[in-house]
Amino acid sequence: MDTPAQTKRFLDAVLFREIWKAMKVTFKHMLHRPMTFQYPREKRTIPDAHRGALGLLRYDNGQERCVGCDLCEVACPSRCIKVISEEDKSLPLQRYASEFYIDITKCVFCGYCVEACPVNALAMTKMYEYSTHDKRTLLFDKERLYDIGEQHLEDAKKYLYAHNQEDDDEESRAYRYHFPQPIGKTEAPDS
Amino acid sequence: MALKPVTTPDTEAATISLSIDGETVTAKEGVSLYDVISSMGKIVPAMCYHYTFDPFGSCGMCLVLQEGKKSPVRSCTAKATEGMVIRTDGDDLFAARKKAVEKHLSVHPLDCPVCDADGHCELQDMAFEHQVTDLANAKQKHIPEDTRSLVLDFNMNRCIACGECINICKDVQRIDALQFMKKGGFTQVVAKGDHALDCEFCGDCLAVCPVGAITNKFSKYVYKPWQLRKTTTTCNYCGDGCQMYVETKDTEVVRVTSPLSWKNKWGDRVDTINGHSGLCVRGRFGFQFIDSKDRLKEPLIRKETGLVPTPWIEALDTTAERLAHVKSRYGSEAIAGLMTARCTNEELYVFQRFMRTVLGTNNLDSSARYGHMNFVRAVHHALGINRMMNTSADITKAKAILVVGANVTETNPVASLRVKAAIGTYKASAIVVDSMQTNLAKLASHPAMVKPGTEGTFVKGLVKSVLEQDLIDPDLASQDPQALAALKAAAHTISLETVAEETGVPVEMIQEAARVFAEAPRSVIVCGEGILRQHDGYDHTLSLIDLAWVTGKLNKPGCGINTFAEEGNEQGAVDMGVAPEFLPGPEAYEQATARQKFSEAWGSTLPDAQAGKSLVEILEDCRTGKIKALYVVGENPLATLPKSFGVEEALSQLELLICQDPFMTETAQHAHVVFPACTFAEKDGTVTNQEGMVQFVRPALDPLGESALDWHIMVGLANGMGHALPYETTQDIQAEIRRLLPGYYNLGQPRPVAPDPTAYLRNGYAESVDARYGVRGRTQESGRPYGLKLIQLIYHSGKLSTKASGLMDISPNTGALRMSLEECERLGIAEGGRVRVTSDQGSLELGVQADVNMLPGTCAFPEHFNDPPVKDLVRVVVDPVTRVPYFKSTQVTIEKL
Repeated sequence: MDTPAQTKRFLDAVLFREIWKAMKVTFKHMLHRPMTFQYPREKRTIPDAHRGALGLLRYDNGQERCVGCDLCEVACPSRCIKVISEEDKSLPLQRYASEFYIDITKCVFCGYCVEACPVNALAMTKMYEYSTHDKRTLLFDKERLYDIGEQHLEDAKKYLYAHNQEDDDEESRAYRYHFPQPIGKTEAPDS
Repeated sequence: MALKPVTTPDTEAATISLSIDGETVTAKEGVSLYDVISSMGKIVPAMCYHYTFDPFGSCGMCLVLQEGKKSPVRSCTAKATEGMVIRTDGDDLFAARKKAVEKHLSVHPLDCPVCDADGHCELQDMAFEHQVTDLANAKQKHIPEDTRSLVLDFNMNRCIACGECINICKDVQRIDALQFMKKGGFTQVVAKGDHALDCEFCGDCLAVCPVGAITNKFSKYVYKPWQLRKTTTTCNYCGDGCQMYVETKDTEVVRVTSPLSWKNKWGDRVDTINGHSGLCVRGRFGFQFIDSKDRLKEPLIRKETGLVPTPWIEALDTTAERLAHVKSRYGSEAIAGLMTARCTNEELYVFQRFMRTVLGTNNLDSSARYGHMNFVRAVHHALGINRMMNTSADITKAKAILVVGANVTETNPVASLRVKAAIGTYKASAIVVDSMQTNLAKLASHPAMVKPGTEGTFVKGLVKSVLEQDLIDPDLASQDPQALAALKAAAHTISLETVAEETGVPVEMIQEAARVFAEAPRSVIVCGEGILRQHDGYDHTLSLIDLAWVTGKLNKPGCGINTFAEEGNEQGAVDMGVAPEFLPGPEAYEQATARQKFSEAWGSTLPDAQAGKSLVEILEDCRTGKIKALYVVGENPLATLPKSFGVEEALSQLELLICQDPFMTETAQHAHVVFPACTFAEKDGTVTNQEGMVQFVRPALDPLGESALDWHIMVGLANGMGHALPYETTQDIQAEIRRLLPGYYNLGQPRPVAPDPTAYLRNGYAESVDARYGVRGRTQESGRPYGLKLIQLIYHSGKLSTKASGLMDISPNTGALRMSLEECERLGIAEGGRVRVTSDQGSLELGVQADVNMLPGTCAFPEHFNDPPVKDLVRVVVDPVTRVPYFKSTQVTIEKL
């Protein structure tokens, strides 16, 4: 029974049509740039406003920007931030965060904490690689957060710029809080 | 000072009517307009107003429009007058108030993120409420922060010059330690004379500060108000029973505030008779002992190697077994118990039930025995009541106040404010009898500085003087002629001249004091440790009752005899029957009907009526070996009583010493078993303050480590001895107390007392009064010239406060004897010099510290410290009636080294 359908199947088999079809896709792809890239070796360019890992920042002279005001803690919708503040023993009358924790497994990357920060000590970076064998390491402590801030300082600054928080270093100085100095350091205590 | 209370007990102000927002309201003439508006329930914003002091009118927020005036007026400083027409609301007023906020904010730093008041700041609230978003011409003050004080930091950049701190210090505390000072172009609050702040450190200025200008050093920068969990509880330090909020974060106490810090500004000046809801230095800054590192965390049992941590089950089992062993071998009489009056009513109740039914002994006592019991026994004996007679409102409204031997500003700082208010606001005459120049003596109209230990003689002098000047209540002659005759005959044996010589107070002064006291329509007596904890304290309290009775001040409204309790729940300890002579109620233990009632309720026979031993007898019997087991709950007799009393020896004789305490006390170090107990901040229950108000204690924290509630331990021991007590929750105990003592809780209100001296006056009064009068001379005529007193400091309470690091920072143990300046000069002692102090009991070397409040011929040492062991110089004298041990004063010689 010779039908057109059979003829077509015969021709497909003889002429390797499927292979030509497939090769057509292959050759087409040879001609345009690849969609994927070789992830660990190649990385995507990320926009400045990207909300990645949180980092803590320092001023140019190395002093911590964070004054331990706990506002990020209240702003956080997923309650992943814990700040423990106290008076800085080395710098009298200055408030600082003696401990600072962000549970990055709970973080929803909303960026509210950055907006809440009055001194722009927190910023989001383009860092997004958290994979680990031990989930406990995802509770970022103060040291780790300052590390992130240091390693991704440029990204952090760009983030703040992109979110209209801080235009340049000049403005960061304007936001800086200057604590008053104690008096009576030189005066003898009255009896 | 224009707005002093317009309605006093003596003068009623005229009633006026005025129109506010179209409503007609009536008010008393001369009241602040702000009060009138707030009494209608309308809220006018204000930052500098508080009802406990005169309006200051600096914040400019309480603006209202008065008809007939062009510009808005400040309602706080305006007085309400007849026919005023007032408008409190409107866009124009909103704009005017907004302008006032902007004015404050323009010189206020926007450092809210680091400010401790952030979230609890009136300026923030006002700015938010009035939608202040734009500040033109804002400038900064750049004032350095004043950190010289030990307790408070003054950041005057944030100050809005509302003056509340200054006003509360001046008008309520009457300390007047703060002032305004123009410095660096700005008006700032500084300590008087711009020195480091040196005051009582009550912290009320911190509490009223509407912004963060005054901050607390002990919790600086460690919190934000919204992070803290507030627990309303009752302060445990003294018997005032101040309500306070213990504010905790996780497992630590961050700060303590009071209703004053979260103030309700709306009240009448007349409300101030109920107190200002503040705290004193101990309550506010002495919280560190609660989560102290020294707290005991697990039960300890003595083994060969010393006290060894042991699991609870094993510890309770062993202890119960050993108690049962002592009971079966030596009988119930060989067991005794002591308990601190800092525990809750429920714990005290369970303790006495445990001792009386499970152990079957009536050898039990509480720390109320150290002095409060003298007062209770005296008024119980004479008047048939068991606590002080007046409320704090009565004391505020008194016309004459006799303060005898009571340095109440140091022992009960908040209750003393009632006396200060009576003197300052209501212009009462005050007769202050003390052997030190106390704070009250400085304010009093009739300060009578007596020689140490002669307060009781002075009281007898007053009675004598009342009789001599015929200031006797006219009703007495008809009511109790025999008693009056007996008193007259007894007083005949003394003369005012000998009293004057004994006490060192001139006769005229005694006469004058007697007149002032007897002629005032409302006279109140406040007695304290200078009477109750000195020799013959019981007799002297009876003499005070004589004085009140003979002048007719026993039954009249607003008159009475009072004492302020030293420890948190001394009144509760008495009411709950933690004393051999009392059953809960307190009902006399000798009464067969009372014993019957409780023995039925508890389903157990009670020990015999004569069986009980009190504190002193218990310790003596421990020494002689009659008592083999001692259960000590929170008490520390070893550190409290002088060495010559032989407590250490007594404790070493014991077969079983059980100590139950939050801390490793000196007594606990000798114990065979140590149970870790909770502090008041972990407890649930009630305490009874000196006025008879039953107040709640609520748990702010979970018990630290494995420490347990005191009554849990007692119930555990009872279970271990096979005699289960039917309590699972505090409510079970409360239900039982309610059933057995109907109306005891009385919704937290003091139940009125009805003193009735009739029975006392008619039965045997004549014989006893005769024995009491007659000047016996000072008890220890040893030829030693100086009176040594063991005094209390405002910064400390018992030994507990020495565990609070904050109070130890404020008032460390100086190890120095306090002497007057004249005496130092006379002996040629320079600042920091050393002396040798010798009494009949021994001798010791210590430093000297000049104290302007001491009188010549006296010296003093704080009783809270025992380094060097000054208290060992004192011999214990035991009261023949109440068995109260007296060890607060002695005579010494002082030599310069």
